[in-house]
Amino acid sequence: MVYTRKHPALLIMGVIFVAIAILAGSGAGDGVIGFLKAKKYVGEMVGMGYAFGAIGVLVGAWHWWGKHEEGNLDYYMSSIAGGIFILLIAMVVRWYGAPLVAVASKGLGPVMGAKYLHDVLGLNYVVLGILAGIITVNVFGIPKWAENGVRLSRLGLKTGVILLGTLYSLAELAALGKLSAVMVGFFVLGAVGMVLWLGRRRKIPNSMGGVLSAGMGVCGVSATVAAAPVVQAKSVEIAYTIGTILIWGVGCMFLFPVIGHLLDLGHIQFGAWAGTGILNSAQVAGAALAYQPDGIETLKVAEIFNITRVLFLPIIVLWLAVWYVRLEETAAGAGPQVNVGTVIFEKFPVFVLGFILMFALSSTGVFAPAQHYKGKYFDNDIAAGKLLKDEQVATLGAEAGKLQRADRKQALASLIQNRKIMTIDDETVLRGIYNAKVLSSDANKVLKTATKVVRHTAKKIKKFRQWITLLFAFGLTGLGMQITVAAMKQAGGQPLVIGGIVGTTKAVLSLIVIVLFVSETI
Amino acid sequence: MNPRSILLASHGSDGARAAEEAALDLLGEGGKLFHLVVVPDFWKGMTGDDWLNNAVTQARFGKYVEDQLVREIGLEVARLARAAEQRKIAYENGVSLGKPADCLAEAERSGTYDLVVVGAPRPKGTPGLRSRMSPETLVRALKTPLLVVPHPG
Repeated sequence: MVYTRKHPALLIMGVIFVAIAILAGSGAGDGVIGFLKAKKYVGEMVGMGYAFGAIGVLVGAWHWWGKHEEGNLDYYMSSIAGGIFILLIAMVVRWYGAPLVAVASKGLGPVMGAKYLHDVLGLNYVVLGILAGIITVNVFGIPKWAENGVRLSRLGLKTGVILLGTLYSLAELAALGKLSAVMVGFFVLGAVGMVLWLGRRRKIPNSMGGVLSAGMGVCGVSATVAAAPVVQAKSVEIAYTIGTILIWGVGCMFLFPVIGHLLDLGHIQFGAWAGTGILNSAQVAGAALAYQPDGIETLKVAEIFNITRVLFLPIIVLWLAVWYVRLEETAAGAGPQVNVGTVIFEKFPVFVLGFILMFALSSTGVFAPAQHYKGKYFDNDIAAGKLLKDEQVATLGAEAGKLQRADRKQALASLIQNRKIMTIDDETVLRGIYNAKVLSSDANKVLKTATKVVRHTAKKIKKFRQWITLLFAFGLTGLGMQITVAAMKQAGGQPLVIGGIVGTTKAVLSLIVIVLFVSETI
Repeated sequence: MNPRSILLASHGSDGARAAEEAALDLLGEGGKLFHLVVVPDFWKGMTGDDWLNNAVTQARFGKYVEDQLVREIGLEVARLARAAEQRKIAYENGVSLGKPADCLAEAERSGTYDLVVVGAPRPKGTPGLRSRMSPETLVRALKTPLLVVPHPG
């Protein structure tokens, strides 16, 4: 079978990307960019515009005019049209759509305290990208020439999670890992148990209870897909369950950020709540990025919860298999056999290994010094020109007497003596002096300068952060293209009732636990 | 009306079974019945937003759903074939994937029938899959008379 379609779409999309790059790079689009307050995206518009524009034009010309023969080249090249299709939608939303919504929302004025409507509703490029994907598939349908490439969105999301591994410190990972294991362990196993219990009370078939419990407990449709053959679900049970999970998950993705803003949750709190309460891992990422579109601290927390939950998937599938086989054996005398090794091997999410590998590499200092935090690290090996000048030292010296605490006196003395900050501990103490505003504004300026010259941004980590954001925007827009209203409409029957009860219970209880017990520092 | 050849759309629901009964009664001995089973196209979106599973698991799920549908359709086909045989009605069947009304119109175009028979939509609130025949699409597309049999509920 030849997958490549003779169609000009990819070529046209390539030309659009190049046009965006030319307009942004030459300044011809400054009026629009200025109106949208989208100047921060100009670099992306130019860089990505030319890069993907070139790919689109070259491969698109081959798609339209070239000769295509069955084989690997045809298969892989055919997927580029779908990939560029997702990317174009995701980037148009990021560069123009979301800024336009923000401008319109600001025009309405604040609606909740100082927050604007788009802040409260989380209407940023991530949410709008997913919406654009959902609208595309349900209103226009995925064009034939793009069908083969839309699945690339999964690769984008998995790559995003793998790269995320570079951003954690060991202490962070250990603290978040412990918290997530407790939270996810309790709520995932609790949700699975609750569905099975409610299922028995409401007399639904074992196969339906099995498939629904996996979906509501672990990771939505992914768990249903993994568990359905194991518990031998009927087609109508699969349809009911997936419909219920999709409608519930998509609803949560849009609702959680709004509730988070209303309750003014911190990044760690929201990430932990989304990672526990939302069913599907992609929706968790979507909600986290919706909550904090200009940073990835929330995403980092949510993803650790996600990964912990994903690691539960083989365990849950195994549990359900054993549970189902035991019940069916009791009912029919003999049931299907479960191969524990095969279940674990096939259901283990391999990309988690990539995440761990990237974390391990990052810890060795390949990308940035091992002690980096959020991509920034301390290094006082600076050029002589960056040492404090005589007058700056004099300013600090004149105010040294204002300090009372011994650690502050010592840190300032060391700075005055060496003209630069000598240790991370000193830097922390000097930041404390700055934040406490004990000294005059002139002296504070000097402290800020001294701190700035020893704090460095790891360029590779900065790039990773940028790529992670783009990969998630790409992946989530593409994932939106796989959410059909026709599938969601199948929500119904007992799965909707039981799923609604268990999903609400899990979301509310996990929120209460997080507000009460999870602090904003890890 | 005394049709000798009927195109029947049925997937075994209560409404469809009422349509089956009506079609068999109308045909009587010596008639020809073509039984069309439509697999609704919402199944194409049934892996939804799954992105965690590997290709092996997704392929296994796809195969499982396909086998399951084939098994369920097989039971319906066998049941109706038996009923037709008992009444000495010639029975044929076909399976299509897509929107029910489009599939039925396509089946009608590719054969010659005196009548097309379908069941009425189930009453609101009755459980079942949501993949209804679009009456307008059907009425516009069909060249053969259409009989809609009331739902037994």
